[in-house]
Amino acid sequence: MNGTADAARVLVVDDAATVRMYHCKLLTDAGFRVEQAANGLEAVESAMVNPFDLFVVDVNMPKMDGYACVETLRGDTVATSAPIVMISTEDGPGDADRAYRAGANLYLVKPVDAARLVRVATMLSGAPL
Amino acid sequence: MTSAAAQEFRLSTAEFERFREYFYKRTGIQFTTGKRYFVDKRIEACVRASGHHNFTAWFSSLRVGDRPELLQELTNQLTVNETYFMREDYQFDALLNPVLPQVLAAAAQAGRPNGPIRILSLPCSTGEEPFSIAMRLLEEWPPISHVDVEIHAADIDSDVLDRARHGSYGERSLQRVPKPWLAKYFHAVGAGRFQIDQGIRDAVTFHRMNVCDTPSMRAFTDFDVVFCRNVLIYFDELSSRRAAENLFGAMRPGGYLFLGHAESMSRISPIFTPHRLPQGIAYQRPMGARQ
Amino acid sequence: MGLVRRQTAEVTRQADPGTLQDRLADPDPEQRRRAALDLDGHAEAVPALLARVPAETDLAVRDAVLTTLAAIDHADVAAGLVPHLSSDDAALRSAVAGALSAMPASVPALLPALLADPDHDVRIMTAMVLADLPHPGAADWLAEIVATDRHANVVAAAIDALLPMAGPQHAAVLRAAQERFPKDPFLHFTIDAALPALAEVEA
Repeated sequence: MNGTADAARVLVVDDAATVRMYHCKLLTDAGFRVEQAANGLEAVESAMVNPFDLFVVDVNMPKMDGYACVETLRGDTVATSAPIVMISTEDGPGDADRAYRAGANLYLVKPVDAARLVRVATMLSGAPL
Repeated sequence: MTSAAAQEFRLSTAEFERFREYFYKRTGIQFTTGKRYFVDKRIEACVRASGHHNFTAWFSSLRVGDRPELLQELTNQLTVNETYFMREDYQFDALLNPVLPQVLAAAAQAGRPNGPIRILSLPCSTGEEPFSIAMRLLEEWPPISHVDVEIHAADIDSDVLDRARHGSYGERSLQRVPKPWLAKYFHAVGAGRFQIDQGIRDAVTFHRMNVCDTPSMRAFTDFDVVFCRNVLIYFDELSSRRAAENLFGAMRPGGYLFLGHAESMSRISPIFTPHRLPQGIAYQRPMGARQ
Repeated sequence: MGLVRRQTAEVTRQADPGTLQDRLADPDPEQRRRAALDLDGHAEAVPALLARVPAETDLAVRDAVLTTLAAIDHADVAAGLVPHLSSDDAALRSAVAGALSAMPASVPALLPALLADPDHDVRIMTAMVLADLPHPGAADWLAEIVATDRHANVVAAAIDALLPMAGPQHAAVLRAAQERFPKDPFLHFTIDAALPALAEVEA
């Protein structure tokens, strides 16, 4: 079911290879075409040359953290309007606000429930349920 | 383990994956499984050369960085070391359009409609890169008739610089030079070799330079375009960060930086802004302060 | 017009360290950036450089400050950077973790305190530092986190950092982590995926 021409394209952004692998598996099994980036800078470069329907972005990453990544994705150099889900280990009250101010659509706290991730990815990207 | 047994060792799939992940994390470069044979052979050669008894010991030593020559050997094994004229010339296409027009427009706004526009090739090796740029500008950039362009070329190795200044090349290096340009800018010097004419040699200024050395890199300022291809990714973390800062300081705000086609600043430094060109991604020194 | 040859600028003498330290607070970010880079190797400038870390608003200047500090791999530097691992500023704590991960001489002494920090986010950042710290003991410290930390996200971060350097000798501690966190699907998936590959790695 994955890899069809119509499948929504997701960019999974996390410095942890294990997390990338896990989110990639969940989303691929749900029918998405998934690509990966290991930090915010790589994500921006990938987004500059590829169209994505959804971004899943971790907060704590070297070289460029998740908030800066999301701000850049929304800014002039990339200017994507695709939905962005931020995922973080932080669950302080200001953290979600910070994500929304940066331009994210949703903020989830790790560990992310697998079914929930697939559900929000499906709804946000407009893929058929 | 006898040395004969050591000769026979083969990289397991788990070891290949481990190395692949490490290399991707360090450089951003992904080896596809199609490259498996290529990488296996090179790693096996590195392990043998290192004297370590197996991949695990070699890899551990590489990660810890206790033997800098291991990284050097790995670099030599994994890169295409050969340089030649018009290598990765899609970037020279980008230079002609849209980079130089944008640079010239900015110069005109700053009161320098006739330049000088400054271009740096670092490392320049035996000169093929700066001389390629020179010929492309002379042949394919009409504004060269009224705009001053400086081409500077730098390398850490004084032997290659001597060869660059001398400017003589064999057929392999010249393969991609259009025949009319070969006739126009080179003369045969025997044994199948051609030397680039004095006029072009004089047009490029060569420097001995270590990109990681901040005090000496201060000699380079206000470059509009820098080519720094296929060298940064092989430095360790701190050296590559310092090199990126030194390149930043050598550039005019708004100036363009080209890395090698497989390279990315994403593992090196966040101080440059990626810039999408039709031909791929280049980097810019930002105009104002970045928060 | 055409290709012209011109000399590069005469290199100005580098200012003395005192002047460079003063320039760390110059209103012009380029002055601050160059001063930070020119202070390469100047241990006496460490307090002034450390003071810039939380205060600096320009990305390239802060990067230069941290690049210079990380190369001075000394106890004072590590001690001065570690508090920022608990910063609310994600960019700052990531940048500081990046610098610490290049300091194998001075970070080890601070690890006992970091691994015992009551803030689980600090312990997660510590795992991230250990992922890249070029020190032969990194795997052991990470294995200790996997074995003893009570917080699932910390253990997850430590496992991610450990796996690229793990060997068959780590299989037991990974299985034990699965048992300690029976309801964590990510840990189960990750460890199940990692164990067969570990068996293939020669010790």
